[in-house]
Amino acid sequence: MATVKERVVAVTARVLQLDPKEILPEKTFTVDLGAESVQSIELVASFEEEFGIEMDEDAALSVENVGDAIAFITKVCKEQDVEI
Amino acid sequence: MRLILLDQETDKRFHFNPLALSRPIWELRYGITSLAEKLIAATGLNATGLNDVACFVPPYMADVYKSRTDWPVNDPKSLLGDDLFIVSARVRAEFFSEDKTDSKTTGPSRVKFDDDGDCLLIRVAKEDIGKLKTDSIDSLIESAKAAFETCNCDVPTWNYTWELILENPDQLIKDFAMLGRSGIEGTVEQPSGVRGSKNDIFIGRGALIHPMAVLDAEHGPIYLDEDVEVHPFTRIEGPCFVGKKSILLGAKCREGNSIGPMCRLGGEVEESIIQGYSNKYHDGFLGHAYVGEWVNLGALTTNSDLKNDYSDVTVMLDGRTPIDTGSTKVGSLIGDHTKTSIGTLFNTGSYVGAMALIAATGKPLPKFIPSFAWFLEGVVTKGFGKAKLYETAATAMGRRKCQWTEADLKMWDEIFKLTAPVRKPAVAKGRRSLARK
Repeated sequence: MATVKERVVAVTARVLQLDPKEILPEKTFTVDLGAESVQSIELVASFEEEFGIEMDEDAALSVENVGDAIAFITKVCKEQDVEI
Repeated sequence: MRLILLDQETDKRFHFNPLALSRPIWELRYGITSLAEKLIAATGLNATGLNDVACFVPPYMADVYKSRTDWPVNDPKSLLGDDLFIVSARVRAEFFSEDKTDSKTTGPSRVKFDDDGDCLLIRVAKEDIGKLKTDSIDSLIESAKAAFETCNCDVPTWNYTWELILENPDQLIKDFAMLGRSGIEGTVEQPSGVRGSKNDIFIGRGALIHPMAVLDAEHGPIYLDEDVEVHPFTRIEGPCFVGKKSILLGAKCREGNSIGPMCRLGGEVEESIIQGYSNKYHDGFLGHAYVGEWVNLGALTTNSDLKNDYSDVTVMLDGRTPIDTGSTKVGSLIGDHTKTSIGTLFNTGSYVGAMALIAATGKPLPKFIPSFAWFLEGVVTKGFGKAKLYETAATAMGRRKCQWTEADLKMWDEIFKLTAPVRKPAVAKGRRSLARK
């Protein structure tokens, strides 16, 4: 089974139409990866669908980079008893 | 005698959503005045011994409503010390003009409930108050049901918001006649075009009609309240009411419109009711619609109000069940604080919840958009959440010198919870759709 990191990278690459190799933990979604506001919302929805979780939108949208997204999603999965 | 206006959280209350999510049903505009003003006038405040008014509203909106009315709100003390006449907000005011014993506010104590057990009327003679529980309105209603006789009369009621839209043109004519005001107290700059009888036009103090505006009262009266401003190339067709400080910007204001205070109106508007404080500044058609407060309709926002096959329009109030309106003409119902982007197209009989943000797709949108939805990329999403919507609401209200308060925030948080059951499936569907892209 793919890791949380691999799944986050795959979703981000698909939504933002980027090469997965560009999606590194320190990269920010907006400045480095070029996510526009609507794409940020699409990313949150796609992460929820990928992991089967519900994220608080304010908290989710305050996550700035890929590494923090991995950590945030891991935490939410644990809180919601979702196997990862 | 005290008139008690009653808006209980019954199953039928949601028939008046999204407009009634954030206000008692009796605050809905209909004709020139509100349903409450009509009920008070019809039951004869001051004329038949009725000397004050109190009200009971759903608890979650009580604090906000207290800041908007001088009446006692949800105060059990208002159930004591006087004869009471309790009237549901759903009762049509015309009932009280009927010459029937049961439509009188006096007489023996009695009750009237509808077929679903919802309270419509209770008359309590002062000497009978001791027979009732008065610690809450619910207790009083239950004890009155057991203690008093039921009237046999038929009490006409409002059942859906679109009834107000469909009967608005006739009501405008009745209200104009009842208010009995005509004449020009404001300024009409020349050249102007006035059609029909000048007796059918009232222009309030401070109102300013720019040159090249047309007021056509041939088929119904026109009432422009104080400080209304009508810009050049506006055409207003009666019957029509425009509330205080509203501005018409070259609008094609067709017959049957009730526009509340502080609105900005452009484009084509027909047989629609706008509660107040809303903007439809630009071109685009709004027909047979009911729009709440603090709504902004972006340029070219348009609703359909007639199906291509001329069949009756259905509306989905719960997102699932179509209700036949019995009319071929129904536009959209749009809740408070909702904003649309440029080029938004609403389907016939659309329900657009409150606090929603709509981005156009180029196609007619789904007929049901839940409250607090961020409609983006053609699907319902959670978007940037309710906190961002509240920020925008506070900004919009501030622009009109109104304040978004802690009470507003609490009320809207409750509305967020109330509307969650219909929003969550829509968000889940939207999420799946986005993930499949």
